[in-house]
Amino acid sequence: MSLQPTIGIETHIELNTNTKMFCRCGVVDTEDPNVSLCPTCLGLPGALPVPNKKAIESITLLALSTGCEITRKGMFHRKNYFYPDLPKNYQISQFDLPVGLNGELEIVIEESTDNIQIERVHMEEDTGKSTHSGSGRIESATSTALDFNRSGVPLVEIVTKPVITSSKQAVAYIEELRQLAIDLNISEGRLEKGNLRFDANISVAPEGSSELGTKVEIKNMNSLRSLERAIDYEIERQTKAVEDGVEIIQETRHWDENKELTSTMRSKEGSADYRYFSDPDLPNMYLSEDFINQVKSTMPQLPKKQREELVDTGLSLKQANILSKSDVWIKSLYFKVHKQTKDSEASFNWITGELQGQMRKSNIEKLPDWFSYEYLSEIIELIKNSKISFTSAKVILSELLNTDSTPNEVAEQKNLFQENDTDKISEMIVQILEENQDVVERIKTGEDKLVGFLVGLVMKQSNGSVNPGMAKELLLKKIED
Amino acid sequence: MDITNLPIRKINTLFSKKELKPSELYSQIFDNAANSEASLHAHLTLFEDENIKKAKESDSRFDSGTAESLLDGIPIAIKDNINIKGYKTTCSSKMLSNYTSPYDATVIKKLKESQTLFTGKTNLDEFAMGSSTENSAFGLTRNPWNTDFVPGGSSGGSAASVGARSSIAALGSDTGGSIRQPASFCGLVGFKPTYGTVSRYGLIAFASSLDQIGPITKTVDDSRIIFSAISGDDPRDATSIVNNQVDIPSGKSAKIGVIKELMEDGISDEAKNEVNKVTEILKSNGYEVKEISIPIIELAISIYYLIAPAECSANLARFDGVRYGLRVDGNTSYEMMENTRAEGFGKEVKRRILLGTYALSAGYYDEYYGKALQARKEMIDEFTKAFDEVDYLISPTTPTQAFKAGEKTSNPLEMYMSDLCTIPANLAGLPAISIPTGITNENLPLGVQVMSRALSDHSLLNFSEIIEKEIQFNQQPKGWV
Repeated sequence: MSLQPTIGIETHIELNTNTKMFCRCGVVDTEDPNVSLCPTCLGLPGALPVPNKKAIESITLLALSTGCEITRKGMFHRKNYFYPDLPKNYQISQFDLPVGLNGELEIVIEESTDNIQIERVHMEEDTGKSTHSGSGRIESATSTALDFNRSGVPLVEIVTKPVITSSKQAVAYIEELRQLAIDLNISEGRLEKGNLRFDANISVAPEGSSELGTKVEIKNMNSLRSLERAIDYEIERQTKAVEDGVEIIQETRHWDENKELTSTMRSKEGSADYRYFSDPDLPNMYLSEDFINQVKSTMPQLPKKQREELVDTGLSLKQANILSKSDVWIKSLYFKVHKQTKDSEASFNWITGELQGQMRKSNIEKLPDWFSYEYLSEIIELIKNSKISFTSAKVILSELLNTDSTPNEVAEQKNLFQENDTDKISEMIVQILEENQDVVERIKTGEDKLVGFLVGLVMKQSNGSVNPGMAKELLLKKIED
Repeated sequence: MDITNLPIRKINTLFSKKELKPSELYSQIFDNAANSEASLHAHLTLFEDENIKKAKESDSRFDSGTAESLLDGIPIAIKDNINIKGYKTTCSSKMLSNYTSPYDATVIKKLKESQTLFTGKTNLDEFAMGSSTENSAFGLTRNPWNTDFVPGGSSGGSAASVGARSSIAALGSDTGGSIRQPASFCGLVGFKPTYGTVSRYGLIAFASSLDQIGPITKTVDDSRIIFSAISGDDPRDATSIVNNQVDIPSGKSAKIGVIKELMEDGISDEAKNEVNKVTEILKSNGYEVKEISIPIIELAISIYYLIAPAECSANLARFDGVRYGLRVDGNTSYEMMENTRAEGFGKEVKRRILLGTYALSAGYYDEYYGKALQARKEMIDEFTKAFDEVDYLISPTTPTQAFKAGEKTSNPLEMYMSDLCTIPANLAGLPAISIPTGITNENLPLGVQVMSRALSDHSLLNFSEIIEKEIQFNQQPKGWV
């Protein structure tokens, strides 16, 4: 019996609004606890929530860009559960009338695409932050420190249908969603800061079965790596259980980053009944045609469309996907360089490979002001016209990141232009062959590889200014003579 | 002349003519309080010392002719579920016995802007849940007409205070009759404005969709003055509305309806007689009076005791010992929360939290809370139809006169029935007023309730003033001034 896993993912994205969802407190990025608080986000008696319009716009924008149907007459619900960092002991959320329903998101794995069905997109307010000492969990903590800075920060929750079939798809989905949120400018999208948090519902069932297996929810996955590992672990655990005839219990499991395994948090019997009901402090939320059109008009180019444009320049889907998930300046640099060079492969490789690599190595976060995209085009052209070697090009690039200069100037200065004059090179080669008669003999008896050694000598003697291809060609010709 | 017996407009005239100083009135009010508090226990906290300075400031404004507000220098009592910055707000609960509010409710802010003085905070049924002010963690309040009897509730402290003249007027809150019923029991005017016209920001919520702050006063005009001062759209309360008043006739062209269902079994003859007395006077003055049937009123108590507890079960969840108020320790956070709530809440509050939690539970929501919401909508529709036929609806305010302390404490259902006539206005969001009209055989006052369509508060007050003039109630409890 072959088992097929089915995965659904719930993602919370922290919005980048200036103020919180239901009060005017600033959304702050600080380690100082409890500095951005008011009666409302602290749940003081008598305080009331007033919705943040900007947050509703952001959520509507995300719903529109995933092709969701927009709920025109929406509602806020109270989700009731007790937890020390939830000040009101209920969370204002949305239940049966979320902002968006039935959307989809295109993801890319290698050279192919998939559409992930989205069930709903809705608003939720964030909780405060608990730090349990003595243990990582509230049940066994000796004390708990509470920081309410995050309390009431607006979140958008995106829930997929149970359509994901592998950890790879899950990771590609989160990567795509993150990029979408960044492109829409609704979130910083920083996983390490908890801007994106995800839970996965996983089940396994015999292949071809129309019914899903018992689902298990996995929490506490803090990175894409842990998402991938936790899903793989859980699929393996469930598959083995089914094969061994052990019943899978509907429960919530906790991913342990260090031990790399999931363990029971609470079983279904202990699961909460959230007693959702419409929040009487908040009137119904009507999203008018005008409002929706206004939000639509702010929609930037979406990642999917970007990829199509990139593929049109000659890139593969995989390359286009890498670029679409890069910073804005990298994408625009690519388009500029490609426009000049008409060489998609070289433009892509130089930008995503050498340029970003060197920047990372030298801890350069943004391109220096003097660095023009035209320099990259020039470098690519110089290589193409055999004016400089690939090695020299790297040296030039490195120099340009540190000194206000141009590729031609650097090549000139460092004497990096390649010697393309056949006569001059031939002269050099004759001399080298004479000095290395033994090597020539061995080549003649079949040790072809030694040609490389001779090319190296030519390069060395010419300080790298000889076009190595040309050197090799001439060497072989002379040896044959 | 008993200055504390005067209506606000008259006092203001005396202030302006310099025939009376605010500080003189203030000290008379506190003499009255000193005389009555031990027997009645209307106030939980008296602000005397702190406010003498403010009374003197009011003196100088009248001296210099710079006083602008009708409420300048008028001592008003505040129900202790409305936050005043820097003072305790206890809701008559052990849970909040040590809680000091760090902010002003919007109504307090507005009264402060009107230079109103505060006498202190008045007793109530814990978290405004009750009809007798016997459910107070700090002891019951007694009726100034006869201390064997309850003053009504939950704003019983406010009503007793105005009755005993230890304040000129008071603020109460009305969720199912908590202003009108004690006003009727204490021979006063009690006005519940249209839902949304007075901000709830800073009123500690019992049932958010029903709660409304309003005045308890000696005259209709006093209620009008306070309503004008405290009403208005509040950016801090999403359910507050722009107070766009509709004008309906209050003179002889006005059509009057007597609610059939509130003149049947369950209503005492005394209460019916008061209604008949008023309608006879109106008829003799040329008003058209007819019987109007609103059948769904018979379900009012059932609807109310699903909706109000459901909302309160979530509203009171925030009292958990984590951030403020009572904390009773435990071995874990959850144990601490459980112990705190077990010890902090009184019996009636717990009963309603349990009722509400049950009504919202999975599997019961549709049957209980969902049905109650439907019925509430129908009630609104039936009232709308009734107001197509008539301009004002008259009924008793309470089924009986005040009952004796202890008489109904062991029978919650009987206690709940005392709100039969007042609950419909809360469920439908309508303005409603209780006007004192007569004295029973046991020398206790009784009132009549008038309701009108939403946002016709001012017309309702005008019409009530006509009844007030015709009835000439003019009686007060003896022995307190």
